[in-house]
Amino acid sequence: MSQTAIKTDWDFPAFAGEGHHEVGFIRTYIFSTDHKMIAKQFLAMSLIFLALGGTLALLMRWQLAFPGQPLPGGGIFPDTMAPGGIILPEFYNSLVTMHGTFMIFFAIMPLLVGVFGNLLIPLQIGAGDMAFPKLNMLSFWLAVPAGFMMLASFFVEGGAAGAGWTAYAPLSADGEFTGVYLGQQLWLGSLFILGFSSIAGAVNYITTVINMRAPGMTWFRLPLTIWALFVTAILVLLAIPILAGALIMLLTDQTLGTAFFLPAEGGEPLLWQHLFWFFGHPEVYILILPAFGIVSEILANGARKPIFGYFAMVLAIIAIAFLGWIVWGHHMFMSGMNPLLGTTFMFTTMVIAVPSAIKVFNWLGTLWKGNIHFTVPFLHAAAFVSLFIIGGLSGIFMASTPVDIHIHDTYFIVAHLHYVLFGGSLFAIFAGITYWYPKMFGRLMNTTWNRIHFVGSFIFYNLAFFPMHGLGLEGMMRRLYDPTQYGWLAELQPWNVFITYAVFALIAFQVIFFLNFIISMWRGEDAGPNPWRANSLEWSIPSPPPHGNFERIPVVHRGAYEYSAPGWDEDFVLQNEPPSEEAVQ
Amino acid sequence: MQNVDHAPPPYMMIWGVLAVLMFAKVGVSLIGMPQWLSIALLIMISLLSALLVALYYMHLKFEPKKLWILAAVPIPLVIIFLLFVMQDFGGGP
Amino acid sequence: MTTATATRPEPGFGVYNLKLGMWVFLLSEVMFFTSLIGAYIILRFAHPEQFAAPGEVLNVPLTAVNTFILICSSVTMVKAFAAVEKDDQRGLQLWLVATIILGSTFVGVQIYEYIHLFADGFVPNAAEYSAGGGPLYGSTFYLMTGFHGLHVSIGVLALIWVLIRSMRGAYSPERLGGVEIMGLYWHFVDLVWIVLFTIVYLI
Repeated sequence: MSQTAIKTDWDFPAFAGEGHHEVGFIRTYIFSTDHKMIAKQFLAMSLIFLALGGTLALLMRWQLAFPGQPLPGGGIFPDTMAPGGIILPEFYNSLVTMHGTFMIFFAIMPLLVGVFGNLLIPLQIGAGDMAFPKLNMLSFWLAVPAGFMMLASFFVEGGAAGAGWTAYAPLSADGEFTGVYLGQQLWLGSLFILGFSSIAGAVNYITTVINMRAPGMTWFRLPLTIWALFVTAILVLLAIPILAGALIMLLTDQTLGTAFFLPAEGGEPLLWQHLFWFFGHPEVYILILPAFGIVSEILANGARKPIFGYFAMVLAIIAIAFLGWIVWGHHMFMSGMNPLLGTTFMFTTMVIAVPSAIKVFNWLGTLWKGNIHFTVPFLHAAAFVSLFIIGGLSGIFMASTPVDIHIHDTYFIVAHLHYVLFGGSLFAIFAGITYWYPKMFGRLMNTTWNRIHFVGSFIFYNLAFFPMHGLGLEGMMRRLYDPTQYGWLAELQPWNVFITYAVFALIAFQVIFFLNFIISMWRGEDAGPNPWRANSLEWSIPSPPPHGNFERIPVVHRGAYEYSAPGWDEDFVLQNEPPSEEAVQ
Repeated sequence: MQNVDHAPPPYMMIWGVLAVLMFAKVGVSLIGMPQWLSIALLIMISLLSALLVALYYMHLKFEPKKLWILAAVPIPLVIIFLLFVMQDFGGGP
Repeated sequence: MTTATATRPEPGFGVYNLKLGMWVFLLSEVMFFTSLIGAYIILRFAHPEQFAAPGEVLNVPLTAVNTFILICSSVTMVKAFAAVEKDDQRGLQLWLVATIILGSTFVGVQIYEYIHLFADGFVPNAAEYSAGGGPLYGSTFYLMTGFHGLHVSIGVLALIWVLIRSMRGAYSPERLGGVEIMGLYWHFVDLVWIVLFTIVYLI
C-alpha cells in the first residue's frame, strides 16, 4: 500500500528511540504532549472537581435533612448565599445545578474519557503516543479554563446558574426568571469551551484507534476498553456539537434578544428540550460505555477467564451507541409531546434493554466457574455490575410512559441516575483507577485501605441512594428546597435525615481513597510491569512506561482475553508474546 | 493515495456543473411553481451539488470505502432528528 | 505458520492521520450545522407565518452572485491542490491568493448585505424586529449565516497561514497534507453554503 508515501506536515516521532530527549519541568508536567502525563493531568483535575461536586452535594443534603437550620461553619458564606448559615432557596438552586454540571461535565466525563482514553488508547493498541499530541495538550488546556469559568460563576452578581443542569428554557433563557444573569452566561460559555476540548479529544482518539494500531492488532483483537472508548469518542464527536449549537442559541436569547426559546416572542421552548436531549441521551452513554469497557477488562482479569462472548460485547456496545440516538424523547414524556412520538420513544427505549442485558449476562458468564481473585479492582467491577442492574431496571420503569407520569421529576429519577452514574460509572472509575494506578505511577495502592474504602463506599452508597426510590414513589420532587413544607413529605422527613447521615459517611470514606491515592505515590510498593498478571499490551512494558511507550513496535498475536489458555505455563499470556511451538498443537 | 492511481478529476467541468445547478435553483425558486414541487426540486438539486463537491473536490470518490462509511455516519442521525422533531411540531398554532 | 499473524497488513484506513483527523472533525461540523439549520427548519415548520417568501425580504440576486463567488473559490482551492501535486509552487501560491481574495469577497458581500438588512429592520433582536415575517426569521437567519460566515473567515485566516508556509517552501508532492486538509475544510464550508443558500434564500 502506498499510504506511507505521503508525509504530513506535522509528522512526529511515532516510537521511542528516535526523538527521545530530555525536556524541562514545564514541558514535562504542565504543557506536556505525552498522553500519559495528560491522562494524569485530567485525573488530577477531575478528582478535584469530583471533590467539589461532592461538597456541593453535602450542602444540599444538609438543607434537605435540616431545612432552616444553620449549616455548621456556614458563616463563611456571604449573605447572598447563606445568611447566618441558612441556605437560601436561590443558592440551593445553584447548588443543584452546579452539582449536576460539575459531576457530569467536569468529573465523570473527563475521568472516563479524558483519563482512561488518554492513558489506555496508545498503550493498549501499541502506539507511541496519540495521533495529534499537541491537539491533545490543547484539549486539556481548554478543559481547565472551562472549569475555572464554571467555578467563577459562583462569585458573580446573581450567583451561579440555577436552572438545573439541563437548563430548560424559558427558565434559563431570561435572567428575570431565576435572578441569575451573568452566572447562566458563564455556564453556557464554560460548556461551550469544554465542548471544544471534548471534540479535540474525540478527533484524536478516533484517528489514533483507526490508524495507529500495532501490526496484528486487528479490530477484533482490541481490548473492550478500546472498543468502548472508540465508540464513546464517536458519540462525543457527534453529540457535543449539537449541544454547542443549542448553547449558542440560548446565549443569544439572553444577550442579543433573539427569540429561539422564548414563547412570548414566538419561539419554542420545546426546541431546547429536543436539542438538549438529542445531545443529552448520547451523553448518558458517553458516561457509561467506557465504564462497560473497564469493567469487562477487570472482570476477565479477576476471574482468570476469557471474556464471555467478546463479539457480542462489541456488537452490544455499537448497538447501545446507535440506539442512544433515537430515544431522547423519553426525557420529555411530560412535556406535552405528540403521544405517537412518545410511544415511539417508549418502544425504542425499551429495546436498549436488550444489548444492555447481553452485556450483563456476558459479565455473569465471564464469572461463571472462574478462578476468581478478589482484588480491589475486581470488587469495584463486581459492585458495578450489581448496581448497574438496579439502575438499569429502574430505567425500564421510567421508559414506560404511564409509570413515568407518576415518577417524572421525583426522587425516583434521582435514585436511578445515581445508581447508573455513581453506582455505575463511579464504581467503574474506582475499579479503573485502582487497576491502572500501578501503570500510571509505578506503585501499588495500599490494598487494606482500598478494601476499607470499597466496603464503606458500597454499604453507605446503597444506604444513601436506595431509600430515594421510596421517597420518589411517595412524591418527593427532585430539586425540592424544603421537603417539610408538604405534610405528606414531612412525615417522611426521618428518611431524609437518614440519607444525609449516609451521605456524610459515604463522603468520609472517599477521603480515605483520596489520602491513599496521594500517599501511595510515594509510599506504595513497587508495582513491577504486570502486577495483575494481565494480557494487554500496556502490561508488557515497565510501570510507568517511558516516553514513547514501546522500545519497538509490538507485534500482536492474539486477543486481549486469553486467560488460562492451555499450553502456557502461566494463566495469562501477553498479546505480543510470540506463539510458542507447544501451544500451537 | 491521491498521487498515482487516478487521472486528475475534471475540476473545471464540475465547477461549470455547480454554477449551472446554482442558477437553476434560483430559477426554480423564482419561477413560481407549486410550493411542494419547488421544495422537492430545490432539495434534490442542492443535495446533488453537495454530493459533487464531496465526491470530486473533497476527493471522496478516490478514497477507501471505509472512509465513505465513516463520512456517512452523521447522515442517518440528521434525518432521524429532523423527522422525529417535526412530528412534535406538526402544523403550528 | 507462527509468523502468519505477524505479517498481516498494517491496520488503518490507508488515509494518513492528518487527513483522517480532518474528516473526523468535519463530521462534528456536520452535527453543529445540523443543530443550527435543524432549529431553523423546525421553527419554520412550526411557525410558517413568521417567515417570508423567497426574495421578499432577502436579496436573492446579490446572494446568488455571492454563492457563485464561493463556488469559484472552491475551484481555485482545488487548483491549488492540483498544483502542489505537480510540484508547481508558483501555481500553488497564485491559486491560494485567488482563493483568499474570493473568500474575503464573500465575507465582504455578506457584511454589506447585513448592513442593508439591518437598515430595513431585519435584526436578530426580537423586540426591534420590523421587517417581513416575524422575529424568528431574523433570529435564525443571523444564527445560520453568521456562523457560516465565521467559518469562512476562519478559513481565510487559515488560507493566509497556508500561503505563508507555501512561500517558505513547506509543501511538495510528498508533503502536501497541509494543503489537502485546508482544501477539505474549505470545500466543506462551500458545501454547507450550498445547502444553506437553498433553504434560507430559495425555499
